[in-house]
Amino acid sequence: MAPTVPLVWYQVLAAILFTIGVVGVLVRRSALIIFMSIELMLNAVNLSFVAFSRQHASMDGHIIVFFVMAVAAAEVAIGLAIIVAIFRNKETASVDDVHLLKG
Amino acid sequence: MFESLLFAMLAGIAIGCALGVVFHRNPVHCALLLVGVLLSVAGIFILLHAQFVAALQVIVYAGAIMVLFLFVVMLLNIKGETPLLTPGAAKAFGFLFALIVFVELIWTAVEPAPEGQGMPQALPLPSDFGSPAALGRVLYTVWLYPFEITSILLLVAVIGAVVLAKRKFF
Amino acid sequence: MDLATLIEAVVKVHVVLGFVLLGVPLIVWMERKVLGHMQDRIGPQRVGPYGLLQTIADGIKLFMKEDILPTQADKVVYFLAPGISVVTALAAMTVIPFGDSISLFGREIPLRITDVNIALLFLLGATSMGVYGIVLGGWASNSKYPLLGGLRSSAQMISYELAQGISLIGVIMITGSLSLNEIGRAQEKLWFIVPQFFAFVIYVVCSVAETNRAPFDLAEAETELVAGFHTEFSSMKFALYFLAEYANMMVVSGVAITCFLGAWHGPILPGPLWFFIKLTCFLFFYIWLRATFPRLRYDQLMAFGWKVLLPASLVNLAATAVFLTVKG
Repeated sequence: MAPTVPLVWYQVLAAILFTIGVVGVLVRRSALIIFMSIELMLNAVNLSFVAFSRQHASMDGHIIVFFVMAVAAAEVAIGLAIIVAIFRNKETASVDDVHLLKG
Repeated sequence: MFESLLFAMLAGIAIGCALGVVFHRNPVHCALLLVGVLLSVAGIFILLHAQFVAALQVIVYAGAIMVLFLFVVMLLNIKGETPLLTPGAAKAFGFLFALIVFVELIWTAVEPAPEGQGMPQALPLPSDFGSPAALGRVLYTVWLYPFEITSILLLVAVIGAVVLAKRKFF
Repeated sequence: MDLATLIEAVVKVHVVLGFVLLGVPLIVWMERKVLGHMQDRIGPQRVGPYGLLQTIADGIKLFMKEDILPTQADKVVYFLAPGISVVTALAAMTVIPFGDSISLFGREIPLRITDVNIALLFLLGATSMGVYGIVLGGWASNSKYPLLGGLRSSAQMISYELAQGISLIGVIMITGSLSLNEIGRAQEKLWFIVPQFFAFVIYVVCSVAETNRAPFDLAEAETELVAGFHTEFSSMKFALYFLAEYANMMVVSGVAITCFLGAWHGPILPGPLWFFIKLTCFLFFYIWLRATFPRLRYDQLMAFGWKVLLPASLVNLAATAVFLTVKG
């Protein structure tokens, strides 16, 4: 049963979401929002994998998405713990203020 | 036709919420818009016959990871920062770089490939494609080693998070 | 999708929605009467025969109350939070089977709104999303006690979700399918409470914690945090939270009945009637728990969920897997 939406459109959507995530990481100053943009990029990649998996009728894409989700969960836990630790010391969540090692 | 309509709607919601995540001031609103993105991507997964992955996305990503985000935002009472975007040349470079990445990705996806290469037509699917049984069949045989490594990774992450969040060491 | 399927779906949605919206006042009445009698008093008795119309009167009162919006509250989130609770609870009702198929107008009409082949995962997803209604309600009120109550309550819910899901895997392994219809059908000879008794106990305890009911209702009890996450909500929004809590109770009772207590199977009476009888017994059990046990302190609650229930459900899962492998 061929999909009525050509699978290229899913890749284009994934590209758009990935780019919006890249903009978020490069342009925002709050550590939490940067983190959320990283999650957005991971989701775009997941979407791309699932679309390819549909194309090749193989479950490998789904497996990779499964592992990406598990790793993303681990990464979020650690990342948020780091942000909490920094916030506790410096009362700020902006990445501009964490510059003790600078020059 | 129904599928195209659903795809257009879900894609629109995903892109709108993603833009909101990046350009909104209040972090709680950004987190909620990210939940919107996750749910619409879960809907798109269902369109692609990936029902188990869609359920995982809702349960794990939207239901647990984003709740963790919201906890941290609410407990630390992090307000929106001023200015919103990094000022000056860095902002221009950021947008430019994102534009380059976007053009590159679209070009790779859309460009017609030379003969014999490129994306084939969508292959016909087996009847249980995307079901938990099909995923389990592959996960516990071919991908068993990464599965066990991932469980150790999660254990390390749990220990690391507990250690990092402690106030003082014993 | 032809017209007959569409009409069938619309009618079924209305029937289930009516069932929930009419069932909740009845559950509230039953709770007040049963609690009253267990506490050696009568409960509501003046409004209507045996106080049956008391909940309707309370509903009208809530509807007429002034809808207060706290000054610094986040308007959009404050407005959406009760809606999220209700929507997720009602969405979870769509996959619960009330009976097997009946034949009407020459069609086989299955007695559930839909049956996806991952129905149990869909249910777990819907209850996971229900956490947002509580945590957002607590935060959007812009007030100390609701924030603490909301965070505590949502931490409790996501902790007990794990043991709840794992306890259901034993049933899934025996049936070989995630579809609630299949699980219901597989219990024709033997209810799953017999081979999976410990999973049933773990599931019931986790469901009581999931729905924020006594003895796990620290986050919303009157003597603790004022009223927890729904302190600042008045009138219709409070009514929506109330409705969501009881609808959630119906959902988890429905899942427990479908997975462990034989779904719609029973000797003489038709399937749906047995389902309603079992549902009533289960809800009576819920109310009985509320009348009997003292409240758990929050650290006791979290310790119990992580240190007792989660390992117990994992042991149950391992034992079931070993047994099924050995049996062949």
